[in-house]
Amino acid sequence: MSFFRHPRSHEDFSTEIQAHLDLEADRLVADGWNRERAEAEARRAFGNVALVKERFYEKSRWVWLEQFIQDVRYAARTLRHNPAFFAMTALTLAVGIGLTTVAFTVFNAYVLRPYAVRQPSTLYQIGWRSQKSGGKAFRWIDYQELRDRVDLFDGVVAESTRFVTSQGRPLAAALVSDNYFDMLGPGVLFGRPSLERAEGNAVVLSHQAWSRLFARDPAVVGTDIDLNGHPFRIAAVLRPEFVGLDDSPRDIWVPITTYAALSDPNLIGVTERRIEITARLRHDISVEHARTALTPFMAAIVAEPGGGVRADVEPATRNPLSLEMLALFSPIFAAFALVLVTACANVSNVMLARGVARHREIAVRLSLGASRNRVVRQLVTEGLLISIVSGFTALAMSALALRAGVAAFFGTLPASVGGILRLVPLTLDHRVFLFALGTAVLATGLFALMPALQASRLSLIDAVRGSGGSGRHGSRLRQSLVIAQVAVSLVLVVVAVTLARNGIAVGSLNLGYQTDGVFSINVRGSDGDLLRRLAPLLATDPGVAEVAVTGGNPLFIRSRTIAAAAAGTRSAIATRYTFVSPAYFSLLRVPIVRGRGFFANEAQSEARVAIVSEATARQLWPGDDPIGKLINIERPEGRPVDELPGYEEVTVVGTAPDLVSGFIVDGLDPGHIYLPTTSNSSHAIAALIRGRTASDLGPNGLQDLFRRVAADPEVFELLPLEDLHALQIYPLKAASSVGFLLGALALILSMSGLYGVLTYMLSQRTREIGIRIALGATPGGVVQLVVRQSTRLAAIGGTIGLVVAFASLKTLDAAIHLNTIALIDAAAFAGGIAAVMAVAALAVYHPARRATRIDPAAALRAD
Amino acid sequence: MSTRRSERLQLMQGTLDVLILRTLIFGPEHGQGIARAIQQSSDNELLVEHGALYPALQRLEEKGWISATWGTSSNNRKARFYTLTKAGRNQLAHESTKWRRLAAAMSRVLGPEPEKG
Repeated sequence: MSFFRHPRSHEDFSTEIQAHLDLEADRLVADGWNRERAEAEARRAFGNVALVKERFYEKSRWVWLEQFIQDVRYAARTLRHNPAFFAMTALTLAVGIGLTTVAFTVFNAYVLRPYAVRQPSTLYQIGWRSQKSGGKAFRWIDYQELRDRVDLFDGVVAESTRFVTSQGRPLAAALVSDNYFDMLGPGVLFGRPSLERAEGNAVVLSHQAWSRLFARDPAVVGTDIDLNGHPFRIAAVLRPEFVGLDDSPRDIWVPITTYAALSDPNLIGVTERRIEITARLRHDISVEHARTALTPFMAAIVAEPGGGVRADVEPATRNPLSLEMLALFSPIFAAFALVLVTACANVSNVMLARGVARHREIAVRLSLGASRNRVVRQLVTEGLLISIVSGFTALAMSALALRAGVAAFFGTLPASVGGILRLVPLTLDHRVFLFALGTAVLATGLFALMPALQASRLSLIDAVRGSGGSGRHGSRLRQSLVIAQVAVSLVLVVVAVTLARNGIAVGSLNLGYQTDGVFSINVRGSDGDLLRRLAPLLATDPGVAEVAVTGGNPLFIRSRTIAAAAAGTRSAIATRYTFVSPAYFSLLRVPIVRGRGFFANEAQSEARVAIVSEATARQLWPGDDPIGKLINIERPEGRPVDELPGYEEVTVVGTAPDLVSGFIVDGLDPGHIYLPTTSNSSHAIAALIRGRTASDLGPNGLQDLFRRVAADPEVFELLPLEDLHALQIYPLKAASSVGFLLGALALILSMSGLYGVLTYMLSQRTREIGIRIALGATPGGVVQLVVRQSTRLAAIGGTIGLVVAFASLKTLDAAIHLNTIALIDAAAFAGGIAAVMAVAALAVYHPARRATRIDPAAALRAD
Repeated sequence: MSTRRSERLQLMQGTLDVLILRTLIFGPEHGQGIARAIQQSSDNELLVEHGALYPALQRLEEKGWISATWGTSSNNRKARFYTLTKAGRNQLAHESTKWRRLAAAMSRVLGPEPEKG
């Protein structure tokens, strides 16, 4: 409580003391003294006035602040006089802090999830749940009913997400109820985001879409945008923070009723469940209450065979932070933090060396009566100043790096994927800001505190006399910092090379089929009927050479497995299966190895025949001819598979080579059973097409065809198989690029660290080397002296790095089982060692040359 | 004069606080008044360098045992007047008991005062 009281000013205190002296003098005068003597006596009785005032000053709470300001001023002056030192340390730290800030920004955007809407914590998503299943999709009429539940909600919005086409470009659209923006209240850049239609069909653009489609033209509000061939009026552009309520960022918000009237009447019909509902709960209603109150409604609208349908009211804006998430992020974060640690080690080293160079200054301050505490505080303040400057630099750098990173991300992604992939906005919000400054302050502890303690612990006499004497302790500290740097960079380089080599290996893996010129078509949403109508049209297109339908295209990660057993045996094996039309094998240029392909009539009737991969044939009938053999298909418990009624027994008619059809990193399919189908069947959910020439089928070439089947061509997802291939390798490539970047930075930092230590050692041993040269040491001998020092540090650091890299990769290798990934890679370790050796050699070059040029006479004369 | 001063008792640590609190029990007083009062009530036995009073007053004020306001002295000079707070009164009661017990115990240990030879 006393802390908050207004502090007493010095002036006030002085006045009180003066009053005291006057009163005492008055008193003495009344006793019969003359005025002059009375005043002198009052002063004498008081004692030392200055001392009392000083004690008052020292006791006042603001002293530390004043001293701090002094320290800051002094530090600023020192740094201004050493601009090179200042720039070097601040920049080194900024690189480290900037990198961790970049990592944190991504973490913040995807995991901590800032929701840029009004009162995000009162938003709940409505769903239902029963014993066996649950759902969040509703009919439009269900939404209309919930919208009127003012007893529970302050507002309810409906949303349905899909891709729409704007002049050939896919846009992620949120089809929303009119009250969407009024209820959520996201930040608006231009215009009024009102979907309550005044005139024309109002839509709202996201910041990303505005940047991408309109190059941030502020005049765009009020103009028209084409969606699926219909003009819409752009009513507003949102601020970058808001991209929707879930993981997938939206480009554009369209009033659902308008959209439905133009393109998709069933959307707001009475049968289709395609609406997601988010409600703002009234402040006086508990989640539990809302759940109970909605349960009768859910039970009435959801017909579940088992019954027991309950309402679900889940927070709509929960962040997905969990232990698994942290476990996933921590190694990535660790790699970034390691660079920060090397940066700190570097700066720490420079500070240590400077501490030695400033011995005399510090000694003078100590001998003039500064407390050790005060000297440490002074040095740490200097560090703090550097950190704050580098923290702000880091924020600026990470903003640039993020922009460059996002550009590089989309630049290197396959174009077709880049068009439909959206990143959540990576904004530098207050959390990122606090993180950067917090990291900077923490870094100060790492790089400034230790050298400060070290520097203040000096023998006054030695220091004032000028004989260095930093003590063995200081140089050992410096050396261990360099060793740590070398170790860290080796680890990063080894990991980067391992990732890169795996990326190349996986990329050049033979898939067993030809992807170039082949396009995959999937139906977005669940309308299977669309494919049935599209497939015959595809066959008539002059640009299309071949068409096949499948129960799931290769290189998509969804796979279906069944338990298959050779008839008459009981040992079933889990095997992937896919329904394919007869053209599948020829379209992908996959030869039938033995037997024959599917006949058209087999496909029409979905005959109980199968083509098996060679691996499956080997597993089921080792050493035997599989053609004509029977396979039993069942669940592991021996029951028939629900999705495959009537497929308990199929006859093998042919074998196909082993393919890579799932995760490329998993390698060749361990087994595969193909079953025949045609586009008429509900088993066919996707299509593959091959153009007559590679250029026949651009992404736009098929749009007209799509439009003949659906008002909204973007319900078909058209992707080159080649791009899917590239996309699968992409994470490895990206990770190795980031790894190389981090490794290179760490190498540069440890090189300059090593250089610093060697130079410092040289300056300490100038006299000794001078004597050696005077006594006849050859230049080679002197060079050896420096090289030995460098080699020793690099060797120790390298060994530690090798052990750490090996141990962590070994642990990782044990944890993941991917056929094509080899984490223990001799070449990577060799590369790491080579990199460290190169660094040691580069760092030693200049100091060694300098050592040979030491003039013995000059060296001995110094001091 | 100087010989008399050296014969006075030096104050032990912590005693000044009690003396100040005790003085203020008679009502608000300024620093100089407190110094005088301490000297007089101890029959000039206790030496208080007036300056030493102020850090003590500052300390007591911070602890909330006394409060201060600017006022006017009897001979019309501006002075800072200190008043005992409720907490200060409690503290004084507490400290007085402690001192009395200490003094009694000390005199018991030291025994009756020997006759001056």
